[in-house]
Amino acid sequence: MLTPRVERMREKYFDTIPQITAERLVLATEAYQRFAGDAVPIFRAKVVNHIMENMTTLILDDELIVGTATNVYRGANLHPEFQSSSWYISDIDDFSTREKDPYYISPEDKETILETLKYWEGKSMEDLAETAMPAKIQELEKDDIICVGLENGVSGETTCDHEKILTVGIKGYMEECQKNIDNLLPQTMEEQAKVDFWKACVIQCQGLITYAHRMADEAEKMATECADEKRKQELLTIAENCRVVPENPPRTFQQALQAIWFVHVYFYIEVCTTACGFGRFDQYMWPFYKKDVIDEKNITREEALEMLECLYLKTCEVYEVRDNWYATAFAGYPMWQILVVGGQTPDGKDATNDLSYLCLEAADDLQVKQPVMALRVWEETPEDLIQFGCRMVQEGQANPGFFNDNAAIPISLGKGRGSTIEEARDWTIVGCIQPGPGGGGTDGSPDAGYVNMGKMIEFVLHNGVDPATGKLMGLETGDPREFQDIEEFKDALKKQIIHHYSLIRTGYNLMQSIHMNRYPVIFASMVTKGCVESGKSVQHGGAQYSTCGLYVTGPANLADSIAAVEKCVFEDKDLTMDELIKACDSNFEGQERLRQLLLNKPEKFGNNSAHVDAIYKEMMTYIADTVQEWQDARGGWYAFGIDSQTMNIPHGQVTGALPDGRLAGEPFCDAASPMMGRDINGPTATVKSVASMVSEALHEGALYNLRFDPNGVQGEAGRNIIEGVVKTYFEDGGQHIQINVVDNETLKKAQKKPEDYKGLMVRVAGYMAYFTELDKSAQDAIIYRTPHLSQN
Amino acid sequence: MSHTPERVLVGSLQKFSIEDGPGIRTTIFLKGCPLSCKWCHNPELIDSRQQLIQSPNNCIGCGCCVTACPQSAVALEPSAGIIIDRAKCDICLQCADQCYAKALRPVAKLMSIEEILRIAGQDKGFYDNTGGGITVSGGEILMHGEFVKRLVREAGEQGINVCLDTSGFGDSHVLKDLALAENVTDILYDMKSIDNEVHKACTGVGNQLIIANLRMLAEDEKILDKLTMRMPLIKDINDSQDIILRTGELYQELGIKRVTLLPYHDLGISKQRNIGGRQESFQPPTAERLSEIEAYFRDEINLKVEILGRV
Repeated sequence: MLTPRVERMREKYFDTIPQITAERLVLATEAYQRFAGDAVPIFRAKVVNHIMENMTTLILDDELIVGTATNVYRGANLHPEFQSSSWYISDIDDFSTREKDPYYISPEDKETILETLKYWEGKSMEDLAETAMPAKIQELEKDDIICVGLENGVSGETTCDHEKILTVGIKGYMEECQKNIDNLLPQTMEEQAKVDFWKACVIQCQGLITYAHRMADEAEKMATECADEKRKQELLTIAENCRVVPENPPRTFQQALQAIWFVHVYFYIEVCTTACGFGRFDQYMWPFYKKDVIDEKNITREEALEMLECLYLKTCEVYEVRDNWYATAFAGYPMWQILVVGGQTPDGKDATNDLSYLCLEAADDLQVKQPVMALRVWEETPEDLIQFGCRMVQEGQANPGFFNDNAAIPISLGKGRGSTIEEARDWTIVGCIQPGPGGGGTDGSPDAGYVNMGKMIEFVLHNGVDPATGKLMGLETGDPREFQDIEEFKDALKKQIIHHYSLIRTGYNLMQSIHMNRYPVIFASMVTKGCVESGKSVQHGGAQYSTCGLYVTGPANLADSIAAVEKCVFEDKDLTMDELIKACDSNFEGQERLRQLLLNKPEKFGNNSAHVDAIYKEMMTYIADTVQEWQDARGGWYAFGIDSQTMNIPHGQVTGALPDGRLAGEPFCDAASPMMGRDINGPTATVKSVASMVSEALHEGALYNLRFDPNGVQGEAGRNIIEGVVKTYFEDGGQHIQINVVDNETLKKAQKKPEDYKGLMVRVAGYMAYFTELDKSAQDAIIYRTPHLSQN
Repeated sequence: MSHTPERVLVGSLQKFSIEDGPGIRTTIFLKGCPLSCKWCHNPELIDSRQQLIQSPNNCIGCGCCVTACPQSAVALEPSAGIIIDRAKCDICLQCADQCYAKALRPVAKLMSIEEILRIAGQDKGFYDNTGGGITVSGGEILMHGEFVKRLVREAGEQGINVCLDTSGFGDSHVLKDLALAENVTDILYDMKSIDNEVHKACTGVGNQLIIANLRMLAEDEKILDKLTMRMPLIKDINDSQDIILRTGELYQELGIKRVTLLPYHDLGISKQRNIGGRQESFQPPTAERLSEIEAYFRDEINLKVEILGRV
C-alpha cells in the first residue's frame, strides 16, 4: 500500500506532461562560448560544471530523495552538442502535438530555444556525422535498410560501479585522480591525454559536489520557510544528506539512495544518455539497509520502502528527447533504467536478501514504468521470490522481466574475454537485456546498429537491387533464378547480411572515433571501473570490458522466408523463383491463393518445428560468430543480439512483401518472438522454439516477449503456469523472457479512451511503456502480438 | 485377443491446455463418440469416420475446391461462400488438398502412438514444472480403449502423467484398467444428467452404464482420489433443483471430492454448421443459478468446486 506521500507524488507524476525546457541549453551555450580553447576533456568538464553551478535547484513537495535533471518537474533537456539544432528547430512546433512521445514547451522557452540554437547551427555531433559518414551508408540509413548508432547521442548504457561510489564517495575518486595527476609528468601524447582526463574528472566531481551543496542550501532555505514541522525536519534531513553525499560515503540508507540518485541524475545532465542501469541494487544497497533497518533499527522496513519508492519516482522524471524517427523506433519514452535483483553472489551462493523483495514490493506498489525490474533466476532462487514476480506479471504489470543466470553467466564469460567466473556470476544488465560481466566495469555502448532482414531478403531476390527504389543498394549476390538449391539461397543471404553489418562497423567505428576526440564522457567514465585506472574515457576504451551491440530486425521473417523458399520453390516446386519474386514485387496482388500457400504450407518459426527452428538458429549463429570477431574503434568487441526494440515497425514499413507471406509494409516480428500470428500451437511451442535458438553464442542475448490472455492464467493455478513457462524456458537455455498479461479488449479500450488507462503498462522491448503513450502503429503491433489463451 | 489399431483419427493435439486437468497439458482429442449431446462443443469429433470441415472465415474465394471435386459436391456462391453437398461428398479430400487457405480441411488426422507422444513429449519440461501431462479426450476415449491403454502405458514409460476425460460410456474393464494405471493421475468424469430420461433425450443414450461405471470407479479409494466430476450446465435442461440435488446425493454417497461446472457455451454451433449440420442453441444457467449450484456443491456436499469454460 502506498503511503499518502507516495500516492500524491504518483498522482502528480501521471498528471504532468513531459516538458522540454531551455535551461540546460542556455547554460551549455554560455559555457561553450566561455571555455572554448581548453583541451577537449577539460573543456567538456567545464561546460558541465558551469551547468551544475547555475542550474535551478529544484526540490519538490513530498520528496525525500532530491535532484532533477532540469529546472522543471518531468522536464527534458536539449543537448545541442549531440543532437542537431536543425530538427530541434524544424520540429519545435510539433513536439507538443506529435503522436509519438510528445513534449510540452512553454512559449517563453520556445523563444529562448530558437534564439539560442542559432549558435549551434551545424555544430552538433549529428551534423558532423552527416558530413563525415560515407554517402553510401547514409543512403542505406535513409532507406531504413541499416541503422548506425552514435550519430546523435553518446554511448550511454553506463552501468557504473555503484559499490565503489558508496564506499569511497566522489571525494575518493577526486583523490585518486589527483594522485594520478601528481604521479605522472606527461612525456607523450597518450600520457598528456590521461592527465587531461583525470583533471576533467576532478572538475566534474567538483561540479556534482557543488550541485549537492546548492541543493542543501535550497533545502535549508525551504526549511526556514516551512510552517509544517514534519516537512521542516524532512527538509533538514535532505539538507544534511546533500552535505554528506555524494561527496562522502553515505552513513544511512536514505543517504545511500540519495548518493545513487545524484550520480544517476548527473548522467542525464552531462550528456543525452539512456540505459543507465542501477545494476545489482539489492546487493550494493544491502549493507545500508541491513544497518538501518535490521541491525540498528533506525528506520522501519516501511520507511525504507517509502524512501525506495521516492527514488523510483525520481527515475520516472528523466528523458531523452528523440526525433520523430527514433520516437517510432524506440516508442514510449524508454530510458532502460534496469534494476536487477536476485541471482547469485560472485562466489556462487544465492544472493537474495530482504531488499530483493523490497525492490519488487516498491515496483508492485507503484506500478510506474521505471525503473524496470529484472529478476535473476537460478536453481537456488527462493520460490517465493519467483512467485512474487509471477504474481506481478499475472496481474498485468508486465514487470519484472525474468533473466536466467545459467544463460547469462556463460555469455558474460564469452563476451568478457578474460572475465573471471566471479565477475560472470556477478553479471548485470548493460543496456536493456544484455548481460555483461559484473562489478560495474562493462561499457556496452549500445546500438552500434540494426540490419533490416526483410531488406536482405529483397536484395537477394533482386541481386542487390532494392525493389522499393530500383537502385543497386546491396551486394550483387547473383540472379536467384539460377540458384540450384536452398543452400545457395542461404549463402547469398549470409553474404548480403554480413556485408551490411560490416558497413555498420565502418560507420560506427567512424562515429566512435569522432566521439573520442570531441565528446568523451567524463563523469560516467570515471564511475565505470577501469577508466580512472587507465586514464581513459569509455569512448577511448577505458572500461574494464568494452563491447558494442549489433542487432537485427525481422529474424523470424528471415527464417520463415527461407523455409518457404526451401519448401515451395526447391522441394515441392509449387512455384518458380521467378514467380515468387514477381508475387512479392506485386505484394501478392491477385495472388492471394499463392500467399496462402506460402503462409500455410511451409513451417513457421515459433511452433516447435525442429526444421525451421534450426534455420533460425543457423542464421543467427552465423551472424553472431562472424561479427563477434570484429573490434570497434577503441578495441572493444562487437556483440550480437536479437532485439529490435520497436524498430520492427519502421523497418517493416519500408519493406515489400516477403516469401513468408508477410504483406508489404507490415511490421516484422517483435524481437526474438515469432512473426505475429504465425505461432499457432500455443505458448509452449513458441517458448520451445525461441529457447532452441538462444545460446551463449549470442553475446547480447535475445529479447523474448510473451503475451498471455488473462483468462488463461488466473488464480494460483495460473501463477504456477506462468512460473512453469519461465522455468521451462530457462531449463531449455532461454536467456530472457518478459510477460504481458493483458487481453485485446483492454488494449482496444485503452486505445479508444486513453484517459481511463493512464497506468496500463506493457512490455515493449527491454523496457516498459504506458500503452496509452504509444502511437497507434506501436499499439497495433502489441495487439497483434499473438495472445496465448487456452481453448476448449 | 483384442486388436489395437496402429493409428487412430486424432482431431487435434492441443498444447498448453490448462483447463483439462492440472498444470500445463497437451490434450489429445480422439475422434468418435457413442453419445451425441445436443450441446456438444466438439461435434466434429462425434462421428468416428473422417469428415470434411469448413472454416468460412479463411476462405479467399479462389474456387479451386470447386474444380478439384470429382463428385461436383462443392459450389461457390458469391453471397454464401462455399456450399458443400454433403450427400454427394465422399470425403476424398481433394478439395482440402487444393485449399491453401485452410478453409476446407479434414477434421482429423490418422496418428500413431509414437507420433502423438513425439509431439506431446516436446512439452515434458512444462508438465514437470507444473504438475501437468497429457489429457486424453475426445470424442469418447473408451471408443479406442486398447489404443488409449497403450498410449497411457507408453506415456508412462516416458515419465508423462495422464489425465482421462471420459463420459464413462464404455467398457467397464477397460475403464478400470485405465483408471488404475499409475501414471493416470486425474480422471475427468462427465455427469450430463442424473435423470435417465433427460440423459437419453439429450445425449441419445441412457445413463445407467455411466453411473454404474462411476460407482465401480468410486469404490476403489485410489481411483476415487483421481476423480473430478464435470457437469455441463444447460439452462432448463439439466440445471433444475431436482437434478442438482439428486446429483449431490450421489456424489455424497460415492465420496466424490471435486466437481467442475461447465456452463453452456455456444461454440459448438458453428462447428456443427461447418461439418454440415445444425445444432440447437441453448442458454447457460443464469449467473444466480450458477452461484446457487456452486454453493450447494461446495457447502452442502463439501466438494471442491470449480467453474470453467466461461466464454
